[in-house]
This record gives sequence, C-alpha cells and structure tokens, in this order.
Amino acid sequence: MRGSLFFCVAWMAACGPALADDFATHLSPAPVTDGTRAATTGEGRAEARLDGDRLTVSGSFQGLASNAIAAELRSGNGIGVPGDKLFDITATPGRDGALSGAVTLSRAQLTQLRRGHIYVQVDSQSAPNGNLQGWLLPPHPFAGEDVPVEGHGFLPQLDVPQR
Amino acid sequence: MRKTILAATCASAALAAVAFAQTRPSGPFTEQQAQNGHGAYVANCAACHGNDLKGAGEAPALAGTSFMGAWGDRSTVDLYNMVKASMPYGNGNSLDAATYRSIIAYVLSANGADAGTEAFTGSEAVKISAIADGKAPAAAPAPTQTAAKAPAAERPATAYPPGRFGLIVAGTVKDYRPVTDEMLAHPADGDWLMYRRNYQGWSHSPLKLVNTGNVKDLQLVWSWAMNDGGASEVTPIIHDGIMFLSNTANTVQALNAATGELIWENRIGPAPTRAYGATRSLALYGDKLFVPTTDAKLYALDAKTGRIVWQTQIEDGREGYSNTGGAIAVHGKVLVGLTYCNRYEEKHCFISAYDANTGKVAWRFRTVALKGEPGGDTWNGLPDEFRQGAETWIAGTYDPETNTTYWGTAQAKPWTRATRGTAGGADLYANATLALDPDTGKLKWYYSHAPGEALDLDEVFERVLIDHGAQKDVLTVGKVGVLWKLDRVTGKYKDSAQTVFQNVYTSIDPKTGIPTYRQDIQDAKVGEWVSSCPGPAGGHDWPATSYDPDSDLMLIPLHQSCVLMRGNPLEKKIGPAATNAGSQQLFEMPGTDGNLGRLAAYDTTTMKAAWSLQQKAPFLTGVLTTGGGVAFVGDFDRRFRAIETRTGKTLWKTRLTTSVQGHVVSYAVNGRQYIAVETGLGGGSPVAKPTTLLRDVHHPGNGNAIFVFALPEN
Repeated sequence: MRGSLFFCVAWMAACGPALADDFATHLSPAPVTDGTRAATTGEGRAEARLDGDRLTVSGSFQGLASNAIAAELRSGNGIGVPGDKLFDITATPGRDGALSGAVTLSRAQLTQLRRGHIYVQVDSQSAPNGNLQGWLLPPHPFAGEDVPVEGHGFLPQLDVPQR
Repeated sequence: MRKTILAATCASAALAAVAFAQTRPSGPFTEQQAQNGHGAYVANCAACHGNDLKGAGEAPALAGTSFMGAWGDRSTVDLYNMVKASMPYGNGNSLDAATYRSIIAYVLSANGADAGTEAFTGSEAVKISAIADGKAPAAAPAPTQTAAKAPAAERPATAYPPGRFGLIVAGTVKDYRPVTDEMLAHPADGDWLMYRRNYQGWSHSPLKLVNTGNVKDLQLVWSWAMNDGGASEVTPIIHDGIMFLSNTANTVQALNAATGELIWENRIGPAPTRAYGATRSLALYGDKLFVPTTDAKLYALDAKTGRIVWQTQIEDGREGYSNTGGAIAVHGKVLVGLTYCNRYEEKHCFISAYDANTGKVAWRFRTVALKGEPGGDTWNGLPDEFRQGAETWIAGTYDPETNTTYWGTAQAKPWTRATRGTAGGADLYANATLALDPDTGKLKWYYSHAPGEALDLDEVFERVLIDHGAQKDVLTVGKVGVLWKLDRVTGKYKDSAQTVFQNVYTSIDPKTGIPTYRQDIQDAKVGEWVSSCPGPAGGHDWPATSYDPDSDLMLIPLHQSCVLMRGNPLEKKIGPAATNAGSQQLFEMPGTDGNLGRLAAYDTTTMKAAWSLQQKAPFLTGVLTTGGGVAFVGDFDRRFRAIETRTGKTLWKTRLTTSVQGHVVSYAVNGRQYIAVETGLGGGSPVAKPTTLLRDVHHPGNGNAIFVFALPEN
C-alpha cells in the first residue's frame, strides 16, 4: 500500500492540472467544544475554479453568531489538518454574507490544492481565529438521506492509502 | 556539591511557589460561592469526577497538573461555558446558573485560586493559570477522600429512580431447557443466546419470515419501559421464547418474548453513578444466566427464577473498574473482560474465565506486557505501574474448530503517546487482536493493529470470524475506520480497507499491515494540538457490525467527525488520577457535508465496498442482518429502519421515542418472527460527540425501552 501511495503522489504531481479544475466545500463550524459552540455557529458553501495557476473562489455563509471579519485560504499538511494562512479573500461583513477572491498559486500551492490540503476559513467577531471552515475537494453531490450509492461513494483519499 | 545544587533548586522552586501565591491576583469569585460550590459539586459532579476531583473512567481530572494542563491557558468564562453547556454529563444546562457559577468557584478554589470580593457572574474572563496553580490551599473546601472511595452504591444515584434492590418480582420460567455447548455452537434459528448471536460474532439471524417483500408491514407488538439513568446499550438474550433483558443498575428481567409479560426481575444494583459504561450483554450456559456488572462483579443467576446462585468479584469496582462488554460461555467457563483500567497503579487490565458452576476463577490473561515478559520491551521502558489501558470492553468471539477465543483490546492510556511517554512503541497488548485458548487463557498469537497509538482510537471492537473456502479469517474494524482481515489461525495480516475518510495513517504496509502515522502525529509534544479524522467517536465504535453469509457482506455502522486532540501533562505517580489526560475540539469531517452517519457494506472476500449511504444523524445500534435479506439499524434521530442488505435501499422505517441505541436482535416464538430494538441513552462518544456537533437534531433525555415488531398474525 505504501508503494501505491508513492505512485499516487507522483502521478498527481506529474498530471495534477488535469485531475480537477473545480473544487467545492461545505463550510461548517471550526473546531468547537460544548463551551465554545454557541459563539461558533453558521454554515455555508464555497466553490473554487482553477484556470492555469489562477484560483477563483466564491461562496456564501449564513447564521454566524457575530459579524464576519475576515476570510482566508489556508493550508495544512493533510485533508482535515489545519495550518497556515496562504491568502486573504473577501467576506462581506455580517452574519450572512458572500465570499469572493482570486489568487495565483505557486507550484507548491497547486500541489497542496490537488492533494486537498487547502481550506477556506471565515473568521467572525466572536470566533476571530476561525468560525467556519471547509476543505476544497472535488465536487461531491450528496445523494440524499436514505439514498445508497454504489461502492464507498465519495471518500476523500487523495493523501491517504489507495487501494 | 550535588546536594547543595539540589537543595538550592528545591529552595528556589519553593520560593517561586510562595512568590506566585503571594503575587497572583484573587479569583473572580467569593469564598461563599466556593463553599456553596463544594456541596453542588458533591451532589452533581463527584459521582463521575470523584470527591477528590481526580477524575475516573472517562471523566477528566478537575484539579491538579492534569486540569491545569488542559485549562491553564483558557479562561474562567471558557470553563463556565463548557461546564454549563455539557454537565452533568448528558444533561447540560439542567442546573440553575447560580449552581454552575458556584461549582466553577469551587473548582478554581480547589486548584489554588484565592477567593476575591466580587462574585463570579459567568462573564469574568480571567486566564486560569494567572489565578491558580493546581495546588489546593489548606483553606479550600476539603475534598473528602472517604467519600471518594466509598462504594458506588453509597454515592448519589444519577437520575435513577429510588427503590429497593434484590429479587423484586419472583416467578419461574416454565420448561426451561439448559443451554448446552452444542446449542451455543449451533443455535436454533429462533434463539439469540449470546451477544452477537453466534460464536463467530455475526449478529445475523437466519430467520426469513420477514423479507424484502413484506417488511413494510411490520407493526409494533409490544414495548417495555426500562430503567432510566446511567447508560443503556442492551442486547436482549432470547431462549425458547424467553427474553432476558439487562437494564441499568444491573437490573435483569425475564420476559415472555411474545407478549412482553414479566416473569421475574432481579435488581442486583448498585444504582448507576455515571452516565456512561453500559452493560451490553448477558450470557446463558446450562441453567444459569451470567451478569457481568458495572461494578466489576460477575453474577450467576438461576435462569428459571432470577435468584443469585453465586457471585464473584472480577476487580474492585470501588476503584473504578467496571465490566461493560458482556460475557461469552465456552466449555463450562464464563469469559469476561474488564474496563476503566486507566489509573496509574500496580494493577492492570485482564481477561478472565470462571467456572460456570462455582464461580471459581479458572484463569486470567493480563492484557499488558510487563518488564521482563515477552512484549514487555514495547513500552519505551516505562515502569510497570505506568503501563495502563488495553481494556476489553467488548466481549470476545470463539471458533469451536480451532478452539480459540478472539478478543480486541483498547488503546494504551493516557491517550496521547506524548503524555504516555511510550514514543512509537506497540504498548503490547493494547489495540491488538488476541487469540487465546479458552480452556487455559494461554496466548496463541497476537496482532498489534496500531503500534504507537496516539489519538484515543480504539481497536477493541468485535472480532468477526468468517470462512472464505478453506481460508479462516477474522475481521474487525476500529475507530480509524480501517477494516482489517487477518488469518485467524496464524494471526498473519491479509488485507485492509478504508471505510471512512482518515488522515491518521499515511500508509499501511501491504505485507505486515503496520500503519505509519502522519509525521506531525508522531512528533506531537504534550500541549500541542493535533488533528485526527476520524475522532474518538470513530469511524467505528461499539454499535456493532453484522455479517450476512448469504451475500458475504459485512454491514458497518460508521461515524464521520474529526477532532483536534491535545495531550495534557500528567504527573507520573501512583494514585487515582484519571489517565485520560487530553483535550478535544470537534469539527465536521471533510467531504461529508455535515453527515455524521455512514452505513457501508463491504464484501469480505474482495474487501470492496458494495454500497454506502450517509445521513446527518449517526447510527447508534449494531446492525442486524437476517435470512430474509433484510437488515435493521437505528439512529440518533429516533429512526429505526429496515434496509435491503444487498443494496442499502430503505424498505421500512418508523420513529421511536428517543435515540435508537443498542443491539437489534431477531427471534421466533411459535413460528412468528420478531425484531427487537432498544431506545437508550448514555452511549458514550457515539452520542456525546454528535451532541456537540449536531445543532438541529434533538431527542428526549430519557426513555430507555425495548420495542418489539412483527408482521401481522394473519
């Protein structure tokens, strides 16, 4: 399985640009405890399109406990692993609002995007270090409650063992 | 010279401590609040966290190094908000605000904070390490050691209705047939004689009267309210039309399985003192019903009358030990596990066997390898007393052909390897599959699934025995969500499959199955936050899988959420301190769109997924597959449904009174097939984590009960 992983990473590095041009994510509360969840509410969606090395992001959010104050693209060292800020993008101020931005990615950042490591974060007054977050992954429509899909369905495995 | 330096160092430390005590500001609370809080703490918190605030079981320490490690860099408001929102466990916001404020004042005081002149209102945000050092001053309301060590029965009963214990209702099961080895090895189609129905752990009923064509006609036949309070994840046991049912407070009932009429009831006790740690199952053998209890005793009841025949102490329940996994009977012996072995002490967890007739201990297998023993070099040289965990909180399975019993073990404690101090060692026999001789307890082989486990991710769950032609396999899936297949004769790794998204392992060796942890997990130090998908609710947790031999599919209930986990400092000293020193923050699993529940079917030959479905509410029952091609499962959102085993298509569903939780069983009486399922509360992480994450899915906080369905008689 380790060999498969190396093959996968090498393949993505070489052929990455053709892997996916569109990305999407559900924005949901950043890490919470029972004590902080009241200040860390809301949800949203974000989409991103990659054209060459130019990434254009759009989206919306609603239901924050306080006004949005910033939004960023960030990257960690895995899907679901928080990390450092790469770029600021724009969040309209308010508890409901819109996201927008266009950034130019470096070669390393392109690799991070294709491996699913880049995520959108929205900050708010009551959760200034992260109110909403969502990792940019290939679009994955939800079949719906009670609706089975063949195989394992959408299961992010870009940076984990491949069978 | 060395003595001089040591003395100078000690003197400096003492002076620094004195200086801190003299210069630190007062806490944002009054002495009166702290005194009031002592009483409120004893009434509402001490049952789980201990009168000495040292924590126990799954309840973290609220005083000392561990508490300061977890909370020192956070504020008094953070602590107040956390406690108010989530405590008492499972009943957040159930006390009045003044009581919560006084409890916070008491906890701060017990950690060395001085009372001030202004009362805590819930809005004073003061960094806790600025006012407290984890050391209780002499003037603080004194923790009562005697109360902390009092038998559980003497402590307050958590939401448990008052009443006497003992044989409350006397009666006799007529025409009871003793359960034989042959019956256990080849159970009658209409019986459900053990936790997973058969020795192989399939949770499958061959009954086929209910099938894909008629399941839509299921209707409720009878229901039965069960004890509230505590935790309930029951598996009813059925023999010749009699249902043996375990309730909280170690209450056992015999019911007519066709009508729901009570035959006898024995309230063994004690009353539950915590809202977690359920008794998942009972075991039948001969003329006795075996009841492993939450206070770590094993009772043998006369199955006909419910009277106690013998009892024995597995371990000292007053120290926190418990038995939640049920039992399995093999060759006249009753095999049981043990849980909550998570204190630094000389004792360790073990699996044990008892003579079914007398209760005399037959053997014990300690699940921790000590210094000088085989495997004892896998704990990074830790002294024996700091090698803890490796609990067995799910009953084992058994292969009559090879005469081998298979058990899973939990992770080493404390959770994080940095706090534990074991580096990447395998910490044998934690998070392993154990193959034991049921007659002697001798270890045949072991397989370590997660050497160096770091994130509270158990591999303790059911070991399912499946033959593929001449191949004898054992399959299991743990919290990481990796479905493992081993050769059950040799213990050799054969294959694995990923059933949920996981970012814990970067690779799994295709020959040995040994996983490689993400580098930042390997490098994490005490006090550093690390991301883990899945989190401590799994992946897979105690809601068990089911294997359908007709389709060769294993149906796996799965949970999808992630956690930021931080290992907190913990003093390496003998004592009652809980060793689960970690902090957690939860978030949505990437790619799931907020769907915490996942149910997936895997072909156990190819290890490929046949189908999967997702939903917002997590599944809280084990799955039942049946000979009729229908599978049953229940969830957090009160839904109980039937699905087509081969496709996952929902064929029928209903909504019950509270979360559908426990293990679904099927049985037959007089030619009629029944489906029984429990509604239950207090399911541990599979309930607690979703309760934090799900903001618009609710269920009542009481309502333990059994519901029995069948097709119309005509």
